[in-house]
Amino acid sequence: MPRKSEPTLSNCVRKLRAQQQGMTQQDLADRVGVTRQTIVALEGGAYTPSLALALRIARTFKKTTDQVFQLDE
Amino acid sequence: MNAMEKVAWTELLVSVVAVATATSLYPWLGNQAASAFALMALVTLGAVFLRRRGNVVVVDERDRQIATAATRTATATAWMSLLVVLAVASLWSNYREQHAVSTAFLNWLIWTQFALIFGVRGFVAVVAYRRQPHAA
Repeated sequence: MPRKSEPTLSNCVRKLRAQQQGMTQQDLADRVGVTRQTIVALEGGAYTPSLALALRIARTFKKTTDQVFQLDE
Repeated sequence: MNAMEKVAWTELLVSVVAVATATSLYPWLGNQAASAFALMALVTLGAVFLRRRGNVVVVDERDRQIATAATRTATATAWMSLLVVLAVASLWSNYREQHAVSTAFLNWLIWTQFALIFGVRGFVAVVAYRRQPHAA
């Protein structure tokens, strides 16, 4: 869990999902190998994914990681 | 609520029920009330929630991260409380010039620590899950 003083990642996963003909949270979760609750937490900005998960999500949307995730400092 | 959150609730509730049962039976059963800690065996019921259902992911990296943090906090809490209780018991025994503690005391101490570890672990995990947005 990120501490309040630590920089967090914002992301545009929700927007990218909507652009993929209504890909559901469960569809994305199944593709990247996590639970739907993790996608919910990630989209809500409450969870910072591991590097491996960030790469898998970016690959799913055919984007680079910095197109999907941005560092909030 | 995902599988690991249910496991956390199970650990928290079983620990609280075991401690509450043991302390409420103490006036009638005395030190034998510690046998109520056998209820702690119910924490194994949490494994029911972790059964694999086809290709559905049951536990992922976020669950493991929360479980690790909860275990770390629970272990640290248990060690600190154990040291404090032993220090107080040692001081009290010296003060009363009784240079030994009863096995009944040690029995209560061990079981209480056992319940504390699972209780704190469950509590920390439940709080961590509650702080994050929830799926409908």
